[in-house]
Amino acid sequence: MKRFVFGGLFLLLLLGPSLIAQETPAEAASAPAPLCADCHDQAKAFVTNPHARGGVTNGVLSNDVCATCHGDGTEHIEAGGDKTKITVPRGRTGSDETCLVCHEATSGGMHANSSQVNCLTCHSIHASDPRSPHLVAKPQLALCGSCHTQPASMRNKPYAHRLDRGGMTCSSCHDPHGRRSKGERSLAIVGHLRTTRAGEAPCVSCHTEKRGPFVFAHGGAEIGECTTCHEAHGSSNPKQLRRATIRQVCLECHSPIATATLGSQPPSFHNLSLPRYQNCTTCHVAVHGSNRDPQLLK
Amino acid sequence: MTRNRWFLLALCLAALNLSAQTMPVDVEIGYRWTDISGNEEMYRTQINEEQGLLLRALTIASQDFRLDISDLGVGPAGALRLETRRDGLYRFNLNYRRADAFSALPAFALGQHTFDRTRDIVDAELEIQRWSAIKPFVGYSWNRYEGPGTTTWHVGQDEFLLSQDLHDTDRELRVGAAFEAGPVKGQVTQGWRSFRGRESLTLAPGANNGNNTNPVLGRPITIGGLTREERTDVDTPFTTLNLTGQATSRIRLTGNFARFAADSDAGGSDDVNGSLASFALGRFFNGLSETSSARAKNTTWRGAARADITFNQMVDATAGYRREHRELDGSALIRTLYLQSVTFGGADPRDVEVILNATNALEREEDVLDASVSIRPLTALSLRAGLSQSNTDVTVTPDLSEIVIDGGQGGTFDRRVRTFLLDGGYTLSGLTLGASLQSDRADDPILRTDFDDRDRYRVRAAWKAPRLFRAGITADETRQSNDRPEVAYDARLRQYTADVLVTPIETLSLRASASRFRSNSNILIRRPENFTTENSVHVEKGKSIEGGLTFSWSRLSFDGDLSRFKNEGSLPFELDRSRARLTVQLREAFGIGAEWARDEYREAAFAVADYEASRYGLFLLLRR
Repeated sequence: MKRFVFGGLFLLLLLGPSLIAQETPAEAASAPAPLCADCHDQAKAFVTNPHARGGVTNGVLSNDVCATCHGDGTEHIEAGGDKTKITVPRGRTGSDETCLVCHEATSGGMHANSSQVNCLTCHSIHASDPRSPHLVAKPQLALCGSCHTQPASMRNKPYAHRLDRGGMTCSSCHDPHGRRSKGERSLAIVGHLRTTRAGEAPCVSCHTEKRGPFVFAHGGAEIGECTTCHEAHGSSNPKQLRRATIRQVCLECHSPIATATLGSQPPSFHNLSLPRYQNCTTCHVAVHGSNRDPQLLK
Repeated sequence: MTRNRWFLLALCLAALNLSAQTMPVDVEIGYRWTDISGNEEMYRTQINEEQGLLLRALTIASQDFRLDISDLGVGPAGALRLETRRDGLYRFNLNYRRADAFSALPAFALGQHTFDRTRDIVDAELEIQRWSAIKPFVGYSWNRYEGPGTTTWHVGQDEFLLSQDLHDTDRELRVGAAFEAGPVKGQVTQGWRSFRGRESLTLAPGANNGNNTNPVLGRPITIGGLTREERTDVDTPFTTLNLTGQATSRIRLTGNFARFAADSDAGGSDDVNGSLASFALGRFFNGLSETSSARAKNTTWRGAARADITFNQMVDATAGYRREHRELDGSALIRTLYLQSVTFGGADPRDVEVILNATNALEREEDVLDASVSIRPLTALSLRAGLSQSNTDVTVTPDLSEIVIDGGQGGTFDRRVRTFLLDGGYTLSGLTLGASLQSDRADDPILRTDFDDRDRYRVRAAWKAPRLFRAGITADETRQSNDRPEVAYDARLRQYTADVLVTPIETLSLRASASRFRSNSNILIRRPENFTTENSVHVEKGKSIEGGLTFSWSRLSFDGDLSRFKNEGSLPFELDRSRARLTVQLREAFGIGAEWARDEYREAAFAVADYEASRYGLFLLLRR
């Protein structure tokens, strides 16, 4: 691992300057016509924007790059910067006429292109969050949380994933586009969740040790999901559990009273009045599955 | 580990030094101090921000090259992302993530289950962009999780605290290609994943007497020494295929397929000596030696097809079908030798060997059919209605050794869920209104907590006056139930949130939000010791209030937040948080930043968990 990371960084050290050198801006070429960047600072800054690819010569942004979304700016320039003579993409129509000309439309759901949610609701071409990829307007927690207030506020609970730190964001688990096409390395499943590359739930893309397969699998994990026991967005309960005590988590399934459901009956020596038996996982440590013990004791 | 982090930081800075001469660079680096009182382990479980050097952020970016680093250095979580490309030649991405995982909860498993581990994840992918019709790629991922911990083992009618050392590594190599042929495009991937887990356990110092201080039939239960070694190897080849085709200008068809076959090979050994008892054997014994070998296989495939139809500017529809099949098969051979055993009466001294040869299986099939239609009768209005049905069939065949009391562990289970969805949105002059309703109706539960009926409602209203004001209100409610008298499951979850952002002047913005969270869940459970039924009640009554401001003037900016989360119910606690950050740009290329964060956590019923933690940070901001 160390060799991999350090090797990568050494590669960066070696290649970085040479890569960068090719991008070194030279003296600005004298342009026969006014440039957008002559008046618009954001056009100057646009030279590092991925949308400017192929449109920068000697560090100078071609007007053609701006025209891709804003249309021909000749009249706008000739009119001394008249704002009515330039196209400014806004809302759903703006997304339809600019973004979706090149980018594939999302399929289905509330995130399908509409007046409520469209490309420009979340992405900002000129003023994106400098620390986030894909030109998103704000850090993801703030961006997604502006509509999805419930999961965002659950992150304020004491046991939660550390979002927007260490590379983990909403889109680590969710696919906002619900897209299933070229360019997406994962397959979206229900609820716009990303899967692992092999097609499993997103939880095990990090928590690989919980993935199994185990000889003695836990039915709750195999038939249900991780969220049968855990709150993915944040919980008031330790281990992001759905209940405050372990015995509740376990016994709500393991109480086969007359109904033919999956979940065995604990033997009667499990005396819930004793602390040892109130904490089921003190003995049943391998609750995610075991290769050593049929009762998940190790 | 700490030295590696310093080395990593030094390398990053060296890279920065070389590249800074020619490419825009933003960097923020500094030191964080911590001041923690109360239960430090609880603080580390919930927050775990440590004292030390921290590369808070670094960005080097151009059109074809971008390096982002965030929070690398002292924990708890940091990341590095490198993206570089040459048009018509290649695209290369490298991601590195590091997360410290710490847990030491005083009330969880009698405070005996802890860990202090680190997870490192590296993911690299190179795509060759030489041809427009086909773009081959190769990728590699690496995920390591390792570090010490403590756990327990139930052996000989007692539980003993063990020291644990864990080394898990997951690797994935994948190759494939994205392709485009006329109206059809897609991607095929073939991957090979391997997991290698190694775990060593020994009796923790001073843990010889175990949790059960009472003797068993007059004999104290103790352990003199214990060692355990575990090995788990899993190899998983997988294949995925995505296809998208434009059948006509109005109809797009997509399909995907994924299959993996995880093959696990595990083994382990235990050696224990002490004074122990086994009710299963009806004997005391003085030692235990166990070896095991196990194989498990999970073969899963999933195929899905979908049609997206655009009727006109106002109406489109989508319909899809997904089928998933999973098979789990396991077998284990476990040989346990009980040494120097005698009957509870002290007779028949001998070693006893127990051999368990277990096999089991699980099969699960799921079909999901869904269709929805979206209508936009006006530019400002959108409506969507959908129906779906999912059928799940499960067959579980457990080994007899898994069944202690017959019932509830094997058999065939079917469940059908029908879902109706309706949502809509309206936007006009800064006002946005949205509402959604999802109603699920199911027949039979598979797990006891499966609902029969579930309804979800969500309403949101927001108003935005450009550059001045934004306010929103959201209300969510979910109700689910299973009315069978032997289950009597009823759960209701409500959340109301209001947020407002005011920008009275360009340099100042004020924000506030308030949320109320209510969760009530009731379900019948059976007490194992006397088979009486009782209601398992879980209640949360949470209130969250947050407020903050951002002030930015000339070369100075300030960001501050205060929040309080108070929870009543099953686990009452209060959590106060304060954050402040001041940055001063002293020169165009140089500034300083100061941070302060404070968290105070208090549990009403278990004060031993309380803590108060302040962190102070001082950072240099460099920009070239």
